[in-house]
Amino acid sequence: MTTRTLFIGMDGATFTVLNDLTSKNGEGPVMPFLASLFEGGTRSKLFSTPNPLTPPAWVSLMTGRSPGHHGVLDFIRAEEHGEDVFFTLYDSRDCKVEFIWSIASRNGKRVAALNFPFTAPPPADLKGFMVPGFVPWRHLRRNTAPSDLYDRLKALEDFNPKELAWDFEQEKQALDLLTDADREKWVSYHLPREQQWFKIAEFLLREEAPDLMAVMFDGVDKLQHQAWLYIDPNQQVGELSDYHLRMRKLCMDYFRQLDGFIKSLVTAAGPDVQVFLASDHGFTATTEVVRINAYLHEKGYLKWKPVPETEEGKRREDSMFAYLDWANTFAYCRTPSSNGINIRVARKPGDTGIKPEEYESFRVKLIADLKELKDPETGERIITQIHVREDVFPGAAMEDAPDLLLVLRDFGFVSIKNKQPVVEKRAEVAGTHHPDGVFIGYGPGIKRGEMIERRNITDVGATLLYSLGLDVPVDFEGRVPDAMFTKDHLAAHPIKIGAATNIKGKSEDSSSMATDEKDKILAQLQMLGYME
Amino acid sequence: MAMGKQETAEQAVIRIVEDLVQDWDLSLKEDVGGGTMLVKDLTFASVDIIQLAVALEEHYGRKLGFQDLLMVDGSYVGDLSIVQIANFVEAKLKRAAA
Repeated sequence: MTTRTLFIGMDGATFTVLNDLTSKNGEGPVMPFLASLFEGGTRSKLFSTPNPLTPPAWVSLMTGRSPGHHGVLDFIRAEEHGEDVFFTLYDSRDCKVEFIWSIASRNGKRVAALNFPFTAPPPADLKGFMVPGFVPWRHLRRNTAPSDLYDRLKALEDFNPKELAWDFEQEKQALDLLTDADREKWVSYHLPREQQWFKIAEFLLREEAPDLMAVMFDGVDKLQHQAWLYIDPNQQVGELSDYHLRMRKLCMDYFRQLDGFIKSLVTAAGPDVQVFLASDHGFTATTEVVRINAYLHEKGYLKWKPVPETEEGKRREDSMFAYLDWANTFAYCRTPSSNGINIRVARKPGDTGIKPEEYESFRVKLIADLKELKDPETGERIITQIHVREDVFPGAAMEDAPDLLLVLRDFGFVSIKNKQPVVEKRAEVAGTHHPDGVFIGYGPGIKRGEMIERRNITDVGATLLYSLGLDVPVDFEGRVPDAMFTKDHLAAHPIKIGAATNIKGKSEDSSSMATDEKDKILAQLQMLGYME
Repeated sequence: MAMGKQETAEQAVIRIVEDLVQDWDLSLKEDVGGGTMLVKDLTFASVDIIQLAVALEEHYGRKLGFQDLLMVDGSYVGDLSIVQIANFVEAKLKRAAA
């Protein structure tokens, strides 16, 4: 058996950074192997999901469907129950459509998928290997497939599940003590983590040679959130402090290491493999904090609930899970990462919220008010785009989506804190998500040195199935970018549209998350820049 | 996941909990049993409880609505015994079958 397709995910990778790291700046490129893939392959910008966020974006990449169809819209799903809101974590069971891992498996292909978020618990029909991302080390065994894989990994030299998996506590500590030294340490922590994922990928490639080998490196996103100032080429100007230069070097060490991993995997996969690299979204600089619930309060759309002066009250205030007086709240933002506004509609007797027949006029007024949030100095709108959900989340999951999706002028994530002022300049530039990620193809049948027009993130799943020699399901929104492939290759391997995917049933119920866990996830989101 | 026909909810919870904690380097004085407390005896954090809920839902092939067990009078419970979980699962399954 030989591996036919190699997919390397790089969470948050952007050409803004990669073009700099692959160019010959002074001493030569930081990522020389990636530079050779650029020269020998085809690349394009990759347009992310309407809200360019890890959960909806990776799931769209892995399903070929947009978030309104697959239903994974955020890290945390909120459900209103009377006077309280329950928060639940999304997992693979919440995805309403079929993953490419399952599609490939039922078509006789063996796959390996490492570190992809929202793949736990693994699908029962998987033919191959899966070690999901976003799973604490204590639960890796249960979520690893097949059942004997975890023990095989444990036998690997230097295998360390604590190093491999997400460490909520470490990230929470880093949040509490984010001194310069701690930030440096926090960046360093991702080097061995990626090494662990690389070693598993290398092992499976060597020992099992699955038809599709896929691994995701998420340190790119984490570093860029915390250390954008030291990575973005546009920020490397003027007099730079010793600390800045040291952080820059540390980040470059990370990217140099990543380049080595890519080289080793591509080399190990052999000359006949088609290689694809992609990110779930791009990155850019955010310069201001926008406290959207504070603005909605000013406009009379929501009322804060008094926070009791107790330990629980303090925790609630710190976590800032929209703690509101529901009887007097009509529109609010649930989570910073959603960048959305939910309108509360009273659908049955006893519910609070607006009347259903008022929905359209209420939404029109709300949009008008949001447009009025302007920079007092320049008059520029702070919220540059306001999308209604039927435009950006069409599909079976639309009802779970926020009523409005906001795009801020600096692409930042909103804050939901009860704090003033509504708009405040950040003390230091931070990294945030940009809709333009990256998509790169390399290998037999792929054009050399081409830059093609921007593709959609749903196209990646279609492309991977095509590369495996499979039909693209007719209900995929993603399309194979034929401009990426040579004419000869397309003639020998025509793109075929085939049978529809297997649609999964909707979950019957949901499990809830305890307060401590919400806090941990929130701390993590805060570290990643989704919260103020 | 193999399950004998006669396996009770308590046996299933014990088996799944034992499977869950096997790599946790715990120094358990006794085997996991009905009176074992998740937090006090097995060092469960809330994320572990969520994972246990997922594992049980996977085992029974349906979601079980664990918020009803985890929340009492608007507050989250501090700890849970194996028996409490087993009784909850049994009641949910009975209700679903009724």
